[in-house]
Amino acid sequence: MAATVVTADGPTRKRRSVRPGAMTRGSTLGLGIGMVWFSLLVLIPLGAVVVEASGGGLDTYRSIFTNSQTFNALKLTVGVSLLTTALNMVMGTIIAWVLVRDRFRGKAILDLVIDIPFAMPTIVAGLVLLALYGSQGPLGTEFENTRKAVFLAIAFVTLPFVVRTVQPVLEEMETDVEDAAASLGATRATTFRRIVLPTLVPAIFAGAALSFARGISEYGSLVLLSGNLPNQTEVTSFRVASILEGGNRPAAAALATVMLVVALIAIVALDVTQRRLARRG
Amino acid sequence: MSIEVKNLHKRFGDFVALDDVTVSLPTGQLTALLGPSGGGKSTLLRIIAGLDSADEGSVTIEGAEATHLPPQKRNVGFVFQHYAVFKHMTVAKNVAFGLEIRKRPKAEIAERVDELLKLVHLSQFAHRLPSQLSGGQRQRMALARALAVEPSVLLLDEPFGALDAKVRKELRDWLRRLHDEVHVTTVFVTHDQEEALEVADEIVVINEGRVEQVGTPDQLYDSPANPFVMGFLGEVTDLGGVALRPHDIEVSVEPGPDTSVSGTVTRLLRVGFEVRVTVTADDGSQVLVVLTRTHARALDLAEGTRVWLAPARGATTIVAGPGRAEPELTRA
Repeated sequence: MAATVVTADGPTRKRRSVRPGAMTRGSTLGLGIGMVWFSLLVLIPLGAVVVEASGGGLDTYRSIFTNSQTFNALKLTVGVSLLTTALNMVMGTIIAWVLVRDRFRGKAILDLVIDIPFAMPTIVAGLVLLALYGSQGPLGTEFENTRKAVFLAIAFVTLPFVVRTVQPVLEEMETDVEDAAASLGATRATTFRRIVLPTLVPAIFAGAALSFARGISEYGSLVLLSGNLPNQTEVTSFRVASILEGGNRPAAAALATVMLVVALIAIVALDVTQRRLARRG
Repeated sequence: MSIEVKNLHKRFGDFVALDDVTVSLPTGQLTALLGPSGGGKSTLLRIIAGLDSADEGSVTIEGAEATHLPPQKRNVGFVFQHYAVFKHMTVAKNVAFGLEIRKRPKAEIAERVDELLKLVHLSQFAHRLPSQLSGGQRQRMALARALAVEPSVLLLDEPFGALDAKVRKELRDWLRRLHDEVHVTTVFVTHDQEEALEVADEIVVINEGRVEQVGTPDQLYDSPANPFVMGFLGEVTDLGGVALRPHDIEVSVEPGPDTSVSGTVTRLLRVGFEVRVTVTADDGSQVLVVLTRTHARALDLAEGTRVWLAPARGATTIVAGPGRAEPELTRA
């Protein structure tokens, strides 16, 4: 166990009697195995994509932003992902709250059902949504081949992320803390805003990062739903596929690299915001 | 009277937590609610604070009817067993919370927080996070936080229950001194009879949802109302049909005019300065006697020694009957 040693200069973390920088054999081996596996699986392939993309030079990248079809796909993907992520942050927190704090019939079933969008093959997710919201569905809404369908599909597959990150944090939170705030005179709303929410913020944002990353990469559930109309409902993953079919590998790789950068920016931005918010009290 | 509780009833499902509890807690005093775990004392405290509601009965705080007031409006300070710190706020922010809710001017808040942190000896920790404090320090911070809003009563629910023995003892002394300084009406819940006897001006013994006895520590210890109170406040043994404390028994190695029971030492156990002697009386009953080490040595007691026992002069005795607490309970 790491112990916190409080000194006059402030707290310093002390690891169990290991000099800084020194590593035991076991941890060297662990780190080695971990890095080799991660490199083979993730780092090297990612590097290859970036190298592939750079084969075409800067022009390949420029073409992503000048080709209106590609640029529209990028805008749609990022826009819808941001929207669904924002929605998930609110809805996911509410669902997690209900699952942890409220008692009702069928709670265990709801808790189980939450993971379905996550567990199901995404193409089936598309089918399910089509059944209800498509032109053949009972609601009479003709969502297929529209941007609404893209939004619906991405919202569907990303729903569990925030719920599942917030839920354990809420479960661990002592209700004593809320009682303490109440006896100090805080209304329920103030207690939620100043005590509960700051505790949940890191979890909400971690879920949001996962949700956004999943959103910009969605493919399967859109196959049946979006109709893949250029400049209308085409998302980047489809655009990458169609560029590849056209045989332009460097351009596809460049678009993939751009998506990689977008994902990184989003994750870093969410993390920075989360840290800022968590520090305020 | 600062807090008046009348005919409180509270059930959790089939479990009766409070059964017609009526008690008055005097202004400016330090009162202990003492009793075994699950006896209803925490429930009573939470109902006084408004954190739980009673099924029946009424609560009056400082003359104002409070039975249906929400906790926010009762002006009570509450301290929890597990500190209930606001983890993401610094120590100073924690203490300031109640004042910020009340929208006091910033300068006033800063001044008051400073003053309180001095009072609880945490001034140099003002900008630390609670996770960087020890348990005892966290509890002192929680106390400062509760005192910040100048509550009319301060309620502490097993405040030292999560701390180790040494810190517990220190904080207990410190609470007593603090109370002598601040004089706010204070009620604390404990299952530790030593803690209650040492700190409180008045003790309310609660068991199975009922008040067993109310009195000063001396009253309770010297004239317990019933075998339960006697058993809960200290060890009890049975000497010839009379219940009394094991250290209130005189031991001699030859028969005397007052001796009531004779027997043989069957077990000797030394714990620090005291010697715990089990005597098997001639009628087969077992009597526990506690002596000092010096006394036992002077008598030259050993297993097998014949002894004669008598109640010491001035000993608190009570006719042994059913309902007496088991010895384990008194050590809780």
